[in-house]
Amino acid sequence: MNSPSVPITGIGSVSPYGPLAGLIQQGPLEPTDVTAWTSAGQRRAFLVPPFRPATVVPGLKTRRLDRLSAWALVASSLALQDAGIDLNLVDRSRVAVFFATAFGCVELTEAFYLSAAANGWNGTDPITFPETLASAPASHVSMFHGLRGPNITVSNKYFGGESAILQATCLLRQGQADLAIVLAGDALSRSLYSWYEEAGLLSPACYNSHPVSESGGFIPGEGVAAVVLEPSARINVRPNARSYARIGAGRWAAGGQPVNIIRQMLAASVPNLTICGGNGVPCATSPTATLAREIVGDGVAITEPHAFATGLAGSGALFHLILGVSSRRVSGAALFLSTARNNGFAVLLLELP
Amino acid sequence: MTDTHKTIVVTGVGVVSPYGIGLDCLQAGMLSGKSCLQRTKDDVYPGFEGTTAQIRGLGPLAGGSNSQHSRTDQLAVMATQDAMVSSGLDSSAFRDSGIVMASTLGGLTEIDAGIAKDPAAWYRRPAGLLRAASYPFAHVADAVGDHFRIQGPRCAVSVACASGAMAIALAANMLLDGAAPIFLAGGSDPLCPFTLSGFNSLQALDPNPCSPFDQNRKGVNLGEGSAVLVLETLAGAIARNADVLAVLRGWAMTNDAFHSTAPQNQGEGLADCICLSMEMAEVRRDDIGYVNAHGTGTPLNDSAEANAYETAFRGRNRPIPVSSTKSYLGHCLGAAGAIEAAITIMAVRSGTLLPTLRLSDPIESPGVDWLRGEVKRQPLPLAMSASSGFGGSNTVLVFGSARS
Repeated sequence: MNSPSVPITGIGSVSPYGPLAGLIQQGPLEPTDVTAWTSAGQRRAFLVPPFRPATVVPGLKTRRLDRLSAWALVASSLALQDAGIDLNLVDRSRVAVFFATAFGCVELTEAFYLSAAANGWNGTDPITFPETLASAPASHVSMFHGLRGPNITVSNKYFGGESAILQATCLLRQGQADLAIVLAGDALSRSLYSWYEEAGLLSPACYNSHPVSESGGFIPGEGVAAVVLEPSARINVRPNARSYARIGAGRWAAGGQPVNIIRQMLAASVPNLTICGGNGVPCATSPTATLAREIVGDGVAITEPHAFATGLAGSGALFHLILGVSSRRVSGAALFLSTARNNGFAVLLLELP
Repeated sequence: MTDTHKTIVVTGVGVVSPYGIGLDCLQAGMLSGKSCLQRTKDDVYPGFEGTTAQIRGLGPLAGGSNSQHSRTDQLAVMATQDAMVSSGLDSSAFRDSGIVMASTLGGLTEIDAGIAKDPAAWYRRPAGLLRAASYPFAHVADAVGDHFRIQGPRCAVSVACASGAMAIALAANMLLDGAAPIFLAGGSDPLCPFTLSGFNSLQALDPNPCSPFDQNRKGVNLGEGSAVLVLETLAGAIARNADVLAVLRGWAMTNDAFHSTAPQNQGEGLADCICLSMEMAEVRRDDIGYVNAHGTGTPLNDSAEANAYETAFRGRNRPIPVSSTKSYLGHCLGAAGAIEAAITIMAVRSGTLLPTLRLSDPIESPGVDWLRGEVKRQPLPLAMSASSGFGGSNTVLVFGSARS
């Protein structure tokens, strides 16, 4: 996709680090014990610690919502706060919401199935049903903030977050919105954890309290990240607006020759930093980092995928991006790169201030 | 002067509906006035009594394993195959194409309530893991991509009942951005206990065949199907001497920001969406010859939608002709917007305005010409398809005749 670049002006997140506005500058994470359901033996994951959303965003009501919807509301509010945007001064019909998720509102989907198992299909809960929709979190973000622009929920097995960012920048460049909130994330549930387990995808570190061993599987994670995207023309006239990074060209594909394609995109530009994304693959043997070295050589700083974000299947890109930008204070051109097992890839060209 | 690189055209349409496979089949069925809505008892789940539009006798996929595919995937692959044939291109010509597929259900058809009680045991059933792997709604885009070995950007969309139309709008955006030379865009959703039960719990189902826009409407009927459009720039279509079926003149997406299930009662979000789509298409409200409405048959949707048409088309020389083809096919959820886009293209190409079936006492709405009774035949240079959904999402597509 083509430039001009679009700045990221606000960041918000709900993650195992808790709810945060701005960059994530805390140290490495260790998985914690799963206690939300009973299991034979220890199970660990990168879990969001329980918190009351209304203590972070006053007035927020989330009692009947899936945790994913509640986190989307908190993360979007923190990102807008971090960007210094007063929505009373914004034409809300020109604000778009993009949300990327792999599994959607899986907790309330399970609850709906449980009500069907208990009462039969003719006895299910009408309040739960609409909250099972994958688009419910994005809808709640629009309702809570009064945002009447495009409201879009997307998914991709590997590159949901990248796809959402690229489509949001596309929408802004084409003038279909003035501002976009891009969110990505998932919540971990019993059925999801069990699926990973039965499929043999989990790291041994999920089953003991030893330090994270990254070989032989991954550790599931949960959380929602949000970024605010604004065209340059807008932030140039907005006092105190800051840019964490500018998103230039980008692309995602299910196949092809990533090395050639990315070199062509880079043209004469030499990135100072490559931030690696990826999901569901052991970080220590990251194929993304291998590809990055093939493209940019050994001399360029490379941030390996973060174990926590890797545990967010298909929706970890925003966390990889935020954690990458948070951890390396370099300026200039940067590459955000993700790969999939079957040769698919996603790439964003970034400009760090 | 038309900028051929900025003009999006439709060069293929594929449909799988209760009428059968193909746009011709759909057209013949609808023009005959046949409704696919039938009384259903215990068919989709034990204890269910109501009216649905089902696809019977869906055959196996050619050249692919059905075990990895949910019914959603299967419908999408079949509609894509039909779209490819309609475009006159071999599937290998789509290698670098993009895919945007919509679904609200994904693989929920393959899962039953037992999964929530003991997921591990459920996965250990025969093919349990494989069936559950089709659950994420992204799987439908992968099913299409993997089946036809397509390597371009893939994306799935889920925005409730506006999903299918939004997939087309997003694909058009990405074509303009140069993300891929061709996009396959559409939606797929089957009938499933999960959604029938959900709509039933909301008391949103009409037990009898629905009557959208009627004063005595009682609710929606669910249906199933899939539609896929082949979209490319006019420059690309000219370069390969393709047959252009229609021009996607404009599109817009908005949100009501109002309620999880109810539309804003004045239809403001949809009215804004209609106006934005006409702005993009650079057409006046008098230029639109027909609107294929969302028209679910629920009391709240249809009155809000009527208000939206009153607002968006206020000042026209004559009332805007509107009909709901959900009266033929039911509401196909994530596929509805794509199927209705195909019907709108059909209307533009054949100059036929389909009436709403069973509409005897329409909502009072002086700015709207509620089409009922006979099929109207007239030249139709421009028509619109409107979609809305739970969570307030709206999408409007404006199609123009290829001749224009």
